[in-house]
Amino acid sequence: MPRLNEAVIQTHGLSKSFGAVQALKPLDLTVPKNSIFGFLGPNGAGKTTTMKLLLGLIHPTAGGGSILGQDIVRDSVAIRSRIGYLPQQPRFLDDLSARETLHFTARFFFSGPAVKIEARVEEMLDLVGLQNKADRPVKGFSGGERQRLGLALAQVNYPELLILDEPAAALDPIGRHEVLRVMERLRSHTTIFYSTHILDDVQQVSDTVAILNQGELVAQGSIERLLTGGDGPVYRLAIKGDTDHALARIQSLPWVSTVNEAAHNGFVSWQVAVTDEQAAEAELLRQVLADESLTVTQFSRKEYELEEVFMNIVEGGAHGR
Amino acid sequence: MVANTELQRVELSGWRTGLTNLLRKENGTWWGTRRWLVQSILWTVIINGFVAFALFVVPLAAQVTRAPEAAEMDPLSNGVQALFQIGTIALAAGTIILVQDSIIGERQLGVAEWVLAKPVSRSAYVLAKLVAHGMGILVILVGLQGAIAYGLLSLALGEPFPLQPYLVGMVGLALHTLFYLSLTLLMGVLTDDRGKLLGVSLGALLGGLLIAGLLGKLAMATPWALASTLPAAVLQTPLPMPIWLPLTVTAGLVIIFVAVALYRFDRLEF
Repeated sequence: MPRLNEAVIQTHGLSKSFGAVQALKPLDLTVPKNSIFGFLGPNGAGKTTTMKLLLGLIHPTAGGGSILGQDIVRDSVAIRSRIGYLPQQPRFLDDLSARETLHFTARFFFSGPAVKIEARVEEMLDLVGLQNKADRPVKGFSGGERQRLGLALAQVNYPELLILDEPAAALDPIGRHEVLRVMERLRSHTTIFYSTHILDDVQQVSDTVAILNQGELVAQGSIERLLTGGDGPVYRLAIKGDTDHALARIQSLPWVSTVNEAAHNGFVSWQVAVTDEQAAEAELLRQVLADESLTVTQFSRKEYELEEVFMNIVEGGAHGR
Repeated sequence: MVANTELQRVELSGWRTGLTNLLRKENGTWWGTRRWLVQSILWTVIINGFVAFALFVVPLAAQVTRAPEAAEMDPLSNGVQALFQIGTIALAAGTIILVQDSIIGERQLGVAEWVLAKPVSRSAYVLAKLVAHGMGILVILVGLQGAIAYGLLSLALGEPFPLQPYLVGMVGLALHTLFYLSLTLLMGVLTDDRGKLLGVSLGALLGGLLIAGLLGKLAMATPWALASTLPAAVLQTPLPMPIWLPLTVTAGLVIIFVAVALYRFDRLEF
């Protein structure tokens, strides 16, 4: 069992090529224990390829990795006995009912007693709200119901790690909300590594994020760090008055990296990037107001939305790199 | 997630990991539904319909019509030919049709990916299909039909049909059927194109019979000669080479097909 703060997933130069196409460039990824790790990237970025490599469904071209301390190639079956997986488009045995599908899945992990397995199946049906459809063949299920059944199946074995490929993609807003709540509830018991396109969801539940673009890892870290923009804190000021002298003074400060100035509607707005957050918060406003002719109408730290960070990174911006 | 200590964990067992559960599921497709009943009735009508027709209807018709060939007709020989010649080909074709979707269908639908994301060895996945379909086919298509045909032949003979040569014939029929079962499963591993699978499997059955005719005596050692050698072996008429030779070659090819299927499936990507 991994110790607290130990990495649950760790890859070293893990890569995959399909013929001449390099779907995943050498990937060094670390997923900490008990994190909800959001794995982001545009379509075709290599997210599903990474997940399939971790599960042993495809074989690495180079590099390797470990899950829960076990090698992803050599110990693949042992790893799969300790984790749960929800594929992007879950497909099951259509003739089986949801209850039978859960029983079938549970039997890969548990040999008995039958009454306890039955209880676990009931618990899972209840968790995803499929009790009233438990005995209907899965082939009649909607996309959302399949997704919910997939989530139940992924958890039936009390996994130490859940790998979820777009878990909320096929769900309506209520279903999405439910999935996020389930993920939050599981946080204390398990690690969740999930891919998604829905950045709002990531910002709500994730604590750690990695962004993949064109098969390459372009950002990885805590969500707080990513939301600072990655280049260090940026402070916004709205100033009235002639700022020429103040600008020269601020730019000369050792902990100021850049100052971007823009004028609009009688105001001058500054975006001041700094290297020392404490110095900036203690001194920046004081340094500007040293010029008594200036009035500062707004002073705040710039907060990025994940979408903004994501777009900057994916479109080639420097944030988060 | 906090594990429930009251549940007993399945022990990992190398290449057999997941086999028991997969076998239960695959066996369920034969014995947990009405499939066994439908297939039993269907193949009884097809195989033993032919045997009964050759044993009882043809001689009766010849008598009624007073055909000149009636005196030379050997109903017993015709019955054995119906089972071990027509039956051999019909059962092989039936096996291909019954099994063709087993691996390829699950690969195309993504079910194989879902199953293989569980603690299941790749070997267990293939072997569960082989064993479950093998059992279903050997019991219903071969064993049951062989038992009914034995009763019909004994009835026509007026005494029990000689058991030993009949059993040799049944072993040949079973091996021939297993040959096409393993070939079809192998093709399901080698390709995800149903057309190619059916083309190769049915092509091997029908084309093989034609090619066997061109190979002369050498063909007598191949599975494609069984349709003509098995009736002779059961009727204890002289054969150009011992019957164990094509039986051994067929069994060897079954083992090779299964081994290649296991090897290739282990390297497939989902």
